[in-house]
Amino acid sequence: MSFIELTNIDAGYIKGNPVLKEFHLSVEKGELVSLLGPSGCGKTTTLRTIAGFIMAERGKVVVGGRDYTDLPPNKRNIGLVFQNYALFPHLSVYENVAYGLKRRKVEKRLIQGEIEDVLKLVSLTGFEERLPAQLSGGQRQRVALARSIVIKPDLLLLDEPLSNLDAKLRDEMRAELSRLQHQLGITMIYVTHDQIEALSLSSRIIVMNEGNIEQIGTPEDIYERPETPFVARFIGFDNHLEGQLISKSEEELVVDVDGTTLVSSRSSGSLDLINNGDPVELYFRPDDTKLLDEEENNSIKADIDYANYQGNTTQYSLHVGESNLRAIVSGKPVPADVKSIRISIAPNKLIVEKKE
Amino acid sequence: MKKSKLLIFITIVMFVFLLGPFLVIIISSFSNNAVMRFPPEGFSLQWYNKVLNIEMFRTTFWMSLKIGLAATLTALILGVPVAYTNVRYRYPGKGALEIFFSSPAIVPGLVIGFSLLRFFIYVTKIPVLTGLYLGHTAILFPYTVRVVSASLRNLDRGIEEAAVSLGSSPVHAFFAVVLPNIQSGLIAAFILAFITSFNNVPVSLFLTGPGVATLPIQMLVYMEYYFDPTISALSSILIVLTIIIIQSTEKLLGISKYM
Amino acid sequence: MNRLHLKKTFVLLLIPGLIFLLFFFLVPLLFVLVESFKGADGGITLIRYKEVLTNPQFRLVFARTLKIALIVTPIAVLVGYPSAYLMTKLPAAKKSILMSLVILPLMTSPVARTYAWIVILGKYGIVNQTLTSIGILKEPVRLMYTEGAIIVGLLQLFLPIMILTLVSAMENVQDEVEEAALSLGSGKAGCFFRVIVPLSFDGLIMGVTLVFTGSITAYVTPAILGGAKVLTLSTLMRQEALVLMNWEAATVIAVIMILTTLILYNGLRLFKPRTLV
Repeated sequence: MSFIELTNIDAGYIKGNPVLKEFHLSVEKGELVSLLGPSGCGKTTTLRTIAGFIMAERGKVVVGGRDYTDLPPNKRNIGLVFQNYALFPHLSVYENVAYGLKRRKVEKRLIQGEIEDVLKLVSLTGFEERLPAQLSGGQRQRVALARSIVIKPDLLLLDEPLSNLDAKLRDEMRAELSRLQHQLGITMIYVTHDQIEALSLSSRIIVMNEGNIEQIGTPEDIYERPETPFVARFIGFDNHLEGQLISKSEEELVVDVDGTTLVSSRSSGSLDLINNGDPVELYFRPDDTKLLDEEENNSIKADIDYANYQGNTTQYSLHVGESNLRAIVSGKPVPADVKSIRISIAPNKLIVEKKE
Repeated sequence: MKKSKLLIFITIVMFVFLLGPFLVIIISSFSNNAVMRFPPEGFSLQWYNKVLNIEMFRTTFWMSLKIGLAATLTALILGVPVAYTNVRYRYPGKGALEIFFSSPAIVPGLVIGFSLLRFFIYVTKIPVLTGLYLGHTAILFPYTVRVVSASLRNLDRGIEEAAVSLGSSPVHAFFAVVLPNIQSGLIAAFILAFITSFNNVPVSLFLTGPGVATLPIQMLVYMEYYFDPTISALSSILIVLTIIIIQSTEKLLGISKYM
Repeated sequence: MNRLHLKKTFVLLLIPGLIFLLFFFLVPLLFVLVESFKGADGGITLIRYKEVLTNPQFRLVFARTLKIALIVTPIAVLVGYPSAYLMTKLPAAKKSILMSLVILPLMTSPVARTYAWIVILGKYGIVNQTLTSIGILKEPVRLMYTEGAIIVGLLQLFLPIMILTLVSAMENVQDEVEEAALSLGSGKAGCFFRVIVPLSFDGLIMGVTLVFTGSITAYVTPAILGGAKVLTLSTLMRQEALVLMNWEAATVIAVIMILTTLILYNGLRLFKPRTLV
């Protein structure tokens, strides 16, 4: 049994239909797991069900051995960090952070020490008397963190906590969060639609779509080896071509795309599901694309629509037949009179999927 | 530019029309003479003296004050939870209920007063003072519910959830985290409701009785028999009090937002 | 499960206020409604309505009340619109001062507010005094206890209401829309009529509704400025109820007042160009 276990959950009803249906989830102690997906995929519903703001119609929520299913949110030992911080406007930083401790009837003299420690942890020593209105976005987020950590929760739930910060601050806070998580060893479930956040913070990523789990894996698993078309598209395998499977083996799949043969060493999903002759889709990343002058292994001819100089790299908009592709290649753009080029993709960067 | 001059002219005339009468009353309250002339002759504070010495004005002033406070507090205590359900819950029939809680402001006050009088006489034998209190409370609902609703809407729902996640029961969260942050809305609602109750005539008209009368009603009665600057003096006092209240709340809260 | 708990809380929050209003507002109104259909023997009858509606005094008073409202409302619009527009264009500090001044007639005791007009319109009031001393009049003219006096008194109350409603509606018309219109070539007047008026139309309808229904149901102003000589619907009702003790007539008049208000509120809502909550 994992530290956090959701079993067979039906929750989050919109117009009579549950967002999560027969949903399962396991998280180990001390992990930072990201729920990654587009809006509406159910990641926030999952979070709120664990928090207790959504009551599951069916199924169980167990955390650290305790059955949370029927417990109201204020009786669960969780910490919540929101996108817009939700600091209490009328209370000082000190009072905000002390709130949970007071509710737990911690002794007054102990509270002070705890708050000192946690403020030091988030680098906000000296800010005790400030009001939320006097703080910057980053500072507010750190207070929100401090407030939820200081109660020593079983787990920390974070709902897109960095979305309201500007890019630079986001990077800094990401690093902070990572450091805190490792230092304290708190189990964290992190909801985001931003891949980079998920990839850089998590020990495991759970990609969700329309209430279902598409794939669970380490950041590397997700990034390099997407297992479904949705995950592939979501994680950046933007280019796709259509073709027909010619042959398959343990090491490689051979696909015919409009007369050109391409070889891939990977298929997402099970190989058994694709058979020779089946229509398939090929996915690859714009930055895994290389330019070639002559015919070479694993290349295909593409017509140039336009080329955008980007300093170090050039972005090409291309098309092969009816498929529009993007290639991001280092170097300057080819001369303007060149109308088509050959692009090549390494077999292990090319994913074959059965066409749906 | 011609258009602007016309606009300014109309506006100025309008303000003179709206506010001139108040000046007239205040000036005429200092008259030396009992006849209602304007401009007044002489200068005297006798009418103010008279106002403060007429017992009926004192008693009814306190009555209006007491009823106003009691009705406003009741309308707040009953109305704030209603405002909360308006803003935080969705349910079938909500629109109709919202209209219902606003309806005491739409139904003519005279009709409300009359129907309450008939109701109290025939159905529920309620003492006059209680009836007056109940009637005033009813007509204050629209003010408390609407103003507090507006205030609640501006409050981030997240802080209630944050409080609950940290261990507060929903009730505790309401008192600890919601109420303190809608203070200005509560004060605005209080003042608006109190003034409405204090100044009310249509409802009080029907619900007063022996020993139970409000100040406006008393003034009307006085005016039926006497015609001297006493009422000018009393009116002036009320006008100045109103100005003070408006100015101080405007400074504190920016009350024009809530109108 | 917690779902029930949620429902229980919800009910506890809503019920006390709801029951209060039901008991001390709705039920009495329904009671009066039922009473209006009761004949002398206690049976259901329309005879009371017939008595009132065919009464010449009632008809006169009703017509007069409508007439007064029909005069007050357009004036409030014509004077209120430009003033409200001007106020929206002012810098915040000036605007807030003007707004507090506009609120003053609304917040002041109606008795005090209306009493001033006695001083102004009375036999020895300002108007008469000035006009006789200048020589336009030979002797004082009766201005009090006339429809005109009531109209003037009502305007002092309803202009602020119209202005407040319009200001809030006009503020919602963004500055950019106005600038866009001006840049496309419409003059200031054209812009006003073709852009601002239509977009703040909802506010206008609301203001007209409030002023019109308010004028019909107002009590203090007609009571003081019209007295027993010039009765309006509300002073008539009060007379029947408290002076003549004619409960049956008063009840019918009360129902007619509610009906008129409801019809006006809903009827005027039909003029809204689109459904805005």
